[in-house]
Amino acid sequence: MQRYRVVKRQERLGWRSCFVFLVAIGLSLLLSALLLALRGTSPLEGILVLFKGGFGTRWALEDCLLKAIPLFLCSLGVSIAFRLQIWNIGAEGQFALGAVGATWMALSFPDLPAFILLPLMIAMACAAGGAWGFIPALLRQKLGTNEIIVTLMMNYIAIQLLDYLVYGVWKDPTSFGFPMTQTFSDQAILGRMGTSSIHWGIVHCLVLGILFWIFFTFTRTGFELKACGDSVRASRYAGIPYDRLVILVMVLSGALAGWAGFLEASATINRLQPSIMVGYGYTAIVVAWLARLNPLQIGITSFLLAGLRVGVENMQLDLQVPAAYGNIMEGLILLTVLAGGFFIHYRIVMVKSA
Amino acid sequence: MSTQTPRIRLENISKNFGKVQANADINLEIHSGQILALLGENGAGKSTLMSILAGQLQPDSGTIYLDGDPVAFTGTDRAIKSGIGMVYQHFKLVEAMTVAENVFLGIPDTLFIRKKAMNREVRELVEQYGMSVDPDAVVHDLSMGEKQQVEILKLLYRNSSILIFDEPTAVLTPTEAERLFATMQQMIGLGKAVVFISHKLEEVLAVADYIAILKRGRVVDSMPRSAVSGAAELARRMVGRTVLLEVDKEPVELRQTVLKVAQLNGMGLEDVSFELQQGEVLGLVGVAGNGQRALVETICGLRIPEQGAVRILGQDWRKFYSRNNWEQSLSYIPEDRLGLATCRGLDLVDNFLLTTRGGFCRGPWIQRQQAKFKVESLIEKFDIRPPDAHALAWQLSGGNLQKMVLAREFYRRPHLIVAEQPTQGLDIAAAEDVWRLLMHAREQAGVLLVTGDLGEALALSDRIGVMFAGKILGIVDAGDAEQVAKIPEMMAGMSVDI
Repeated sequence: MQRYRVVKRQERLGWRSCFVFLVAIGLSLLLSALLLALRGTSPLEGILVLFKGGFGTRWALEDCLLKAIPLFLCSLGVSIAFRLQIWNIGAEGQFALGAVGATWMALSFPDLPAFILLPLMIAMACAAGGAWGFIPALLRQKLGTNEIIVTLMMNYIAIQLLDYLVYGVWKDPTSFGFPMTQTFSDQAILGRMGTSSIHWGIVHCLVLGILFWIFFTFTRTGFELKACGDSVRASRYAGIPYDRLVILVMVLSGALAGWAGFLEASATINRLQPSIMVGYGYTAIVVAWLARLNPLQIGITSFLLAGLRVGVENMQLDLQVPAAYGNIMEGLILLTVLAGGFFIHYRIVMVKSA
Repeated sequence: MSTQTPRIRLENISKNFGKVQANADINLEIHSGQILALLGENGAGKSTLMSILAGQLQPDSGTIYLDGDPVAFTGTDRAIKSGIGMVYQHFKLVEAMTVAENVFLGIPDTLFIRKKAMNREVRELVEQYGMSVDPDAVVHDLSMGEKQQVEILKLLYRNSSILIFDEPTAVLTPTEAERLFATMQQMIGLGKAVVFISHKLEEVLAVADYIAILKRGRVVDSMPRSAVSGAAELARRMVGRTVLLEVDKEPVELRQTVLKVAQLNGMGLEDVSFELQQGEVLGLVGVAGNGQRALVETICGLRIPEQGAVRILGQDWRKFYSRNNWEQSLSYIPEDRLGLATCRGLDLVDNFLLTTRGGFCRGPWIQRQQAKFKVESLIEKFDIRPPDAHALAWQLSGGNLQKMVLAREFYRRPHLIVAEQPTQGLDIAAAEDVWRLLMHAREQAGVLLVTGDLGEALALSDRIGVMFAGKILGIVDAGDAEQVAKIPEMMAGMSVDI
């Protein structure tokens, strides 16, 4: 009789772990193709359209990058909190608040020169997003609430607040009743790079990504965060102010999502409107986990998942595949990759039992 | 012992974890109709032995005989089939289900649940063994004692004939404990065998028919209950007087007082007062669970003192912990090396920086490269294996991790060291290293050594305090043989004139 037994790996897999990753991606594609076949679409054609639409043309690639930018910043934000094992799933709301904060500045001081107005918008976006992260952290500290639930609930509040503003006080009188603000003044718009459709936000991502890495690798606070993330007990033993760090990561986390909100409002849409909320804050959580909270991998994964979004839009047009299909694929990829993570630490051996 | 064939006989059971001998040449017999008590400190090898019996671990050598025939418990299912049942300290119950449902959980029966029959069968068992739990109650609502009864019912329903209780009274009130002992008596009356693991002397004397004492993985003594006169004698046999190592104890000139605890109350402590000076080792001995944890955690800043005063290096507790003083200060060497003293998933450099980061910072930056050089020199000096600064904490053996912790803490040149069970789980060679390091540190610091091992306390300490039920019963001079002889009795909670 043969039985299977799970054995912990003694040595690390190292670079070979990318095979696990590839197999997981392959499996999720297979399942996705199966879904397509079920609704009568040719799976091969579907996957082909998906890839072509996502990465096949210059226009598609630029669109991917544009969508990857807010995804990257939100994901960077949540991974700061995740590294401390604080489960901030409120990037969506913090993103919304960031957009609101930036818009506030853009509408209040439209005539300031760009080199003052843009930093002002960024600062306000970070402050608003950070405040949206600070509240759940404070509640957790003072009342022992669960940050998962509070951050999630605050997402809805933030979105309602955004809606209230664009349907009400900030509504453009010339918009024929559409819920949107006036187009920002030129000084409040972050420009595009050369002839491409890519805006300068990508440079912000690059700089912030590097700062993130420097912060965690070379600073004392970064080290303390790393220690707390590994063991709260040991960090208390070492006199690390855990409670203060929780507040810090939630504020930073919210500020980065808020920054993403600024970029989206200023550079991509050039105004505030409800359609700014397309779920980047939730996809960011998927990205953070797929990338194992590593900034470089977050960059790559953001791009790939943005490609998935663009590709699914293409499938919608060409093959009439419903929009929810993209969410299903996102979920499948996350599940298979996380399940694959098991094989990085364990292996299965056959044992012969007498 | 009686001449009948024992239900279980262990012959020369040995089990090593790396260099640590968890069990060495253990011979034991478990008889039907008898309660066997296994006495020993934490880390003496009790849990390992029981895990071997329960089929969770395989012995490296030795044989287990069941009713006279050799058997191999290669899995928990086999042990269960042979009638061995364990009552663990941490209950494994489904809180949302009723008592009867828990009892029947996992028993392959018919497809449909027969609620009435289940309740009836459980009720019969409850009555038969003089228990009190209601089969229809939801486990969530039960007291700890009642939950334990459910665990026992699970075993009884499966017709376990050898019941092993791992420190069962740790979670019980005294009345509940009494009831448990009555149930145990019922069991042996019905021909079952009971193994009772404990470190509470009084309880062992109250219920056991036969007593075996485990120490550092060996059965150092075993006797029928009738051969023991009382707790004092048992304590003496348990703590022993064998000093494993003669450490050079050159007297060091005493200097300033580094720790002063005055009338500390609350958290299970009662009027704890003592002083510790630079240059001496104060041993605090006692059976685990007599308030040592609360005392140590208070001194080391993990708990806020409720009542009374703690002064560290001349400063009030609150003031001392309001500032970050990494150097020439207090070092805490906790019992839980992997969970408290280190971060298991971080490498040695990061773990080194955990308490010494104050010395490797320039502005907001941390100087990891310099820390790495320091760690590498410490690895060499303290002979830590593997000699790799990037090894993760969990990859080190207990002894090497402890040396790493000591190396780190001594690097801070502390004036006060609180060492809690510093050699627990270490092999003799590693223990000797640790002892030597502590003796050496005494020249610069006052050492508070909290241990359950009297031999260790005697080898290292200048003075020895005995803790029992949250109190310090007395502090004796380690050089005074007459007073030292009374320590075992004090550990058993008897008041002794000193």
